[in-house]
Amino acid sequence: MSFDLVEPSSLGEAFKLLDPDDPAVRPLAGGTALMLLMKSGFFRPKRLVSLRAASDRLARVRVEPDGAVRIGAMVRLAALERAPELRRGCPVIGQTLRTLSNVRVRNVATLGGHLAHADPHSDLPPVLIALDARLVLAGPRGERTVPVDGFATGLYETQCKGDELIVETIIPPAGGKRAAYVKCTTRSADDWPALGVAAAWDDSGGTIKSPRIVLGAATEKPTRLAMAESVIAGHGLDDALLARAGAAAAEEAEIVGDARGSVAYKKQLVKVFVGRALRAAQARGGAPA
Amino acid sequence: MSTTAKAGQIGRSLPRLEGRAKVTGRADYIHNLRLPGMLHGKIFRSVVAHGRIRRIDVAAARQVPGVHAVYVSDDIRRVIANPYYGPAFHDQPILAIDKVRHIGEPVAVVLAEDPHVAEEAARLIVAEYDELPTVTNEVEAMTSKVIVHDVLKPAGTFPDLKHLEGRKGTNLALDFHLRRGDTKKAFVAADRVFEQTFTTQPVMHTPLEPFVSVAEPGDGTLTIHTASQSPSFVRIEIARLLGWPENRVRVKAAFLGGGFGAKLYIKLEALVAALALLTRRPVKIALAMDEQFFTITKHPSTFRIKSAVGKDGRVTARECEVWWNGGAYADIGPRVTQKSGFTAAGPYDIDNVAIDSYALYTNRPPAGALRGFGIPQLVWAYESHTDMIARALGIDPVEFRRRNLLRDGRPQATGTVMQDAATGKVLDRLVERMGWSRPFDHGRGTIKRGRGIAIGFKASIAPTTSVAILNLYADGSCALYCSTVDMGQGSDTAMAQIAAEALDVPAETVRVVHPDTDVTPYDMATLGSRSTFHMGNAVKRAAEDVRVKIDVLKAELGLPAGSNIPVAELFRRKYGMQAGNIVGVGSFVPGYASPDHDTGLTPNATPFWMVGGTGAEVEVDTETGHVRVMRLINVADLGTPINPRIVETQLSGGAIMQLGFTMQECMEYADGQLLNPNLADYKIPGMRDLPTRIENETVAATQASGPFGAKGVGETATFGVSPAIANAIDDAVGVRLTDLPLTPEAVYRVLAKGSR
Repeated sequence: MSFDLVEPSSLGEAFKLLDPDDPAVRPLAGGTALMLLMKSGFFRPKRLVSLRAASDRLARVRVEPDGAVRIGAMVRLAALERAPELRRGCPVIGQTLRTLSNVRVRNVATLGGHLAHADPHSDLPPVLIALDARLVLAGPRGERTVPVDGFATGLYETQCKGDELIVETIIPPAGGKRAAYVKCTTRSADDWPALGVAAAWDDSGGTIKSPRIVLGAATEKPTRLAMAESVIAGHGLDDALLARAGAAAAEEAEIVGDARGSVAYKKQLVKVFVGRALRAAQARGGAPA
Repeated sequence: MSTTAKAGQIGRSLPRLEGRAKVTGRADYIHNLRLPGMLHGKIFRSVVAHGRIRRIDVAAARQVPGVHAVYVSDDIRRVIANPYYGPAFHDQPILAIDKVRHIGEPVAVVLAEDPHVAEEAARLIVAEYDELPTVTNEVEAMTSKVIVHDVLKPAGTFPDLKHLEGRKGTNLALDFHLRRGDTKKAFVAADRVFEQTFTTQPVMHTPLEPFVSVAEPGDGTLTIHTASQSPSFVRIEIARLLGWPENRVRVKAAFLGGGFGAKLYIKLEALVAALALLTRRPVKIALAMDEQFFTITKHPSTFRIKSAVGKDGRVTARECEVWWNGGAYADIGPRVTQKSGFTAAGPYDIDNVAIDSYALYTNRPPAGALRGFGIPQLVWAYESHTDMIARALGIDPVEFRRRNLLRDGRPQATGTVMQDAATGKVLDRLVERMGWSRPFDHGRGTIKRGRGIAIGFKASIAPTTSVAILNLYADGSCALYCSTVDMGQGSDTAMAQIAAEALDVPAETVRVVHPDTDVTPYDMATLGSRSTFHMGNAVKRAAEDVRVKIDVLKAELGLPAGSNIPVAELFRRKYGMQAGNIVGVGSFVPGYASPDHDTGLTPNATPFWMVGGTGAEVEVDTETGHVRVMRLINVADLGTPINPRIVETQLSGGAIMQLGFTMQECMEYADGQLLNPNLADYKIPGMRDLPTRIENETVAATQASGPFGAKGVGETATFGVSPAIANAIDDAVGVRLTDLPLTPEAVYRVLAKGSR
């Protein structure tokens, strides 16, 4: 197998090297997923466009005046795990990252690659959706911003066009939000999750405002559970409410069975873990406003 | 003989002799070996589980620049006329001939100077098959119309396989039967009868160093460098395949990055030997991790067990029927079937026993020995069954075991009288450590707690031979030549300690020469926890031989026998300068009596018994079925530990390995394909899967016939892990699992069905 590995020094150059019509030409970020696909022979590249030197913007984490955090696509997950910009306003990201794969992968994998790969088992998409995060996509025709919710359109499929790149992820100011992510592995502690649930809401004097409950891994793409959200909106958490939210979630989620669990078993897990995610969010409390 | 000797080399927790070399990356492994002109081979494998080969098209692969050659079975036959190998049956072709019998079977091989070129070219090979129906379940294989091998071809090594020669229309590669007493009568007279069926899943050894072998052709000779647990066997089998005398085949082994029974007999050695002879160049094949899953596995099994119990809570009869899924090639499966068959009824004193143990061919990758030689599969069934009986009778599981335990001086199912088997002590220490008599907190809410125990035993594989040479040099230093393979179990250190004790020198000063069949003498293999006992005895005898020869030399020099003149001085006096050697030789083969073909009975089934017990405390999440092992206690009888620290790591290592086979590992098949031949989807335990606490204990015991009272330890801690955990789950939540692995979903499903 021979292929070209190119390292453009600007985004413009990168767009020229990408080819929307050729699936054998792909951008390369951390490569943790791509290398496995190449090793197995599943992906045989013609050209890999490394984004390592494409733009400083891809490598930065910065806080906007309003408190929103912009994370460059090439920021390593390990760096994000320790990013002071997030630790205070958005601790749920660091908490999630500590259980994402292992330290060797986190040292190499990037946030942009994590999202662009659109593996439904990824941990961060449900969290980012729960936080109403958005993505800045750039291409030869300019930039556009899309919500993370809906960015993944299916298994390994996204709204990103073939010559577009994720440039940044924007997490809105999370002041006062309660948020948590819990996941369940079934084959080993460090396995890909059988399911992950992110929950976040604005706490308004003990009642839940604008809740987000997002299910990952058990579905084809990370999915907001609207019925479960409406069950808890406007209420205070108690055991009965948790049970109703879990039941609603299990009913509405379009669960996919796999080696990590059958559909029936994952439904049970959804029921349980929606409750656990809500409880965890409640317990962890909001970040200081 | 030396005044610098430390007192007592036995019982010393000497750090491993090779530890520093390993952690600093200086230790030699076959994977690092590069020879001038060496070619790299990549195997093209079958994607169908059973089929006639219609066509193999290697044209495109041959055309890849850098490819030296592409070979199929016809090419192999140019150098090896009858290219079938195997320790029990000559049933396995070096490359598939006419038929393929399992997924991943080697069909062709590409040779190139660059391993990546070979790999790339192998992808271009196209094979067409007429697919045949398959048989994959061991019980179905007994009666299936699908026959894996048209004719059975026993190797002739084992007398109990000879009657299978030429047999047709069967998948049965060995049936072992044991009949003791009168089970029929006992079942009629029984107060209660219990019967259950248990199964185990297909799993793999997962040595982190995958298989690797290099063959180097010489002038009428062949040298094979291989990560093998059985260099002596490799030499004998390669010599047989080539029709050469043993002295033209040289086999060298290095440290192994794990073996666990995978790297036994012939794996890649016959293939690289044939390729080296075809090309007249050194050839190396190093498997990738995924290829290991197609090479050798652990037997899946089905075990039907039935017990008769009297009013006094004594088991009066036990009937065992065990089916072993041996896969497409027998490997050592028939020996697993027979040897484990000896003890299928468990470490209990039962007057009436019937055991039927069947080795079966199926269209699955071959199964062989894996850390326990079938015993963990059996203990899983008989110790789950034992617990179920105790619970049904309302007798405490410990008390029930005590009432029925097989103790020294009593005949075991084969009729062999138990000797130096500390079953009682192991059970007692286990129960004490667990605080069994104290009240136990069974948890609350959705987290329930439970505890369970299990005890198993094993007859060592017999009869087998070990030979050792101890070479004393003229300056008084010495080297130990033995073919035991240090695959991580610490045998170099243990053997050095045994030699050192016998010679009265510090163990650190004994140099251990690694297996090289031109240099080191015969050893059957490093398997079945046999080395400490067998090779240990041979080493001790070799050292004693040296001492005798020193005394002879002293007498020759007119010195009194008790004189403490340094050895170097003896040599100087004898030869007039620093010159000469004293070569001590020791060989050991324990007594053994083959079991009677019809009754399975024998007065001497084994040279020693291994006894292991495990206690587990678990937490069960009743909402999800997740089980956390909070405490895992392993208690073992291994005679006198040669090196207590290494013994401890062998116990915890064995237990953790079996924990993986208990809780999580499973080769998953769908539509005939293996779904998870990689470490991303085949999950061995990681640090976060380990029990919160692991405790290991060696009971005070002596194996009188062992070297300085020692016997083997490598497998002992695997015995009881699976049933101890299932028994603890039952204690926690009142449900019983009978199929491994105990995944959260499996636990949740039985929970959802409702407790008894």
